[in-house]
Amino acid sequence: MLKFGRRILLIYRKDLQDELRSTDHLLSTLVFGTMLVFVFSFALELADVGTEQIFPAVLWVSIFFMSVLALQRSFAKEREYGALDALLLASGERSVLFYAKFLFSLTVLLLLELVVVPLLWIFLDVGVGSASLWFFLAAVLAGSWGLAAVGTLLNGITVQLPGARLLFPILAFPLLIPLLMGAILCTQGALSGQVQAVLGWFYLLLVFDLLFTVLPLLLFDYILEG
Amino acid sequence: MAAKNVLTVRNLRKQLGAKEILKGISFQAASGELVAVTGPNGAGKTTLLRLIAGLMPPSGGEVLWNGARLGLEHRLVGYVSHQPMLYGSLSVQENLAFFGGMYGTLSQDRLQELLELVGLWRYRLEPAAVLSRGMQQRLAIARALMGEPALLLYDEPFTSLDVDGRQILRGILEHRRPRALQLLITHELEHLAGLPFREIRLEAGRIVPGGDASA
Repeated sequence: MLKFGRRILLIYRKDLQDELRSTDHLLSTLVFGTMLVFVFSFALELADVGTEQIFPAVLWVSIFFMSVLALQRSFAKEREYGALDALLLASGERSVLFYAKFLFSLTVLLLLELVVVPLLWIFLDVGVGSASLWFFLAAVLAGSWGLAAVGTLLNGITVQLPGARLLFPILAFPLLIPLLMGAILCTQGALSGQVQAVLGWFYLLLVFDLLFTVLPLLLFDYILEG
Repeated sequence: MAAKNVLTVRNLRKQLGAKEILKGISFQAASGELVAVTGPNGAGKTTLLRLIAGLMPPSGGEVLWNGARLGLEHRLVGYVSHQPMLYGSLSVQENLAFFGGMYGTLSQDRLQELLELVGLWRYRLEPAAVLSRGMQQRLAIARALMGEPALLLYDEPFTSLDVDGRQILRGILEHRRPRALQLLITHELEHLAGLPFREIRLEAGRIVPGGDASA
């Protein structure tokens, strides 16, 4: 178990080091996310819509689009020089790769959200009056966790296929519908301070996260078999 | 004297779609042997090596190591492929250190020893992406040796190596002989001249009659 965890951390650290060294992709995704914030705030200003009602949907649409860009990268480095085989031989278990890539994707997503969520909050001029900030953070974390888990799983499925970049969003969207619904409703509940009313959705998010975090332990060996 | 490790390939078959790539390959080899797998393009050589490495599941038959099923979980295979199987943005040294860490065999001495062996010590701080293809191949060989594998699989390892590189690889094949079983795909047996080896010749997914011989 210790070796399993150590290998996960080694791959995670290597990926993070690599991503932070060549920041092109992280920055371009961040610029894309920031542009989304500006476009949404501009469009909603013109449409004269109550931003507090629409904020949860705008937030999760932005996070979803950013995640499609960010998560597709998790196996990109392995594709470049055919390192996937060497990594599999050194990992011993394919699920080691899933958990390392999942942690990496979650970290990247949270880093992006650290910038984009406050920006969106400010630009849409959302009040904090009755909001439950802790529940808001919990909803963002649970939603991001699910996005990263499903994204990594789908990346594992598509990594060895031609047209992976096209397949990924097509496969991701239907799978993520329950997660996005739960995340949007939980965010709405957090903003209005009506946490009790959306607790059921929050539990659904947790079950979704648990399912897509544990399932790869059983499935990833088959998924990555050539 | 330590007991020899034995690789047994028994009736190994692989079907990809409608095409049967391997049609029942069987042979046995032990540590200390250098086995050259030869044959024309499309004979199934690379598929055979990938199946032995555990990188793809067979459609039938089995690969055994000392009588037990050989799988990825044993982590005893070193593999040199057509592709360098490296991380372009990591330096030469970081690449080896990463794989050494994964195998639990990392030490500064070991790292230096391997980089000197393949003649890359002075390039250790260069990103792997800026190396020539031949140098990437040398690094790939060092990477494959990092885990002290008992089974070494080389898929056309002489490709893109210069004269020095070929000499280095011949030295490695000779030096690793007592400790490992080495299987090597090559189209040019003259690279192995002077080394005792056994040839297994494949054609259309089968070992050709009389195609398993010692040179």
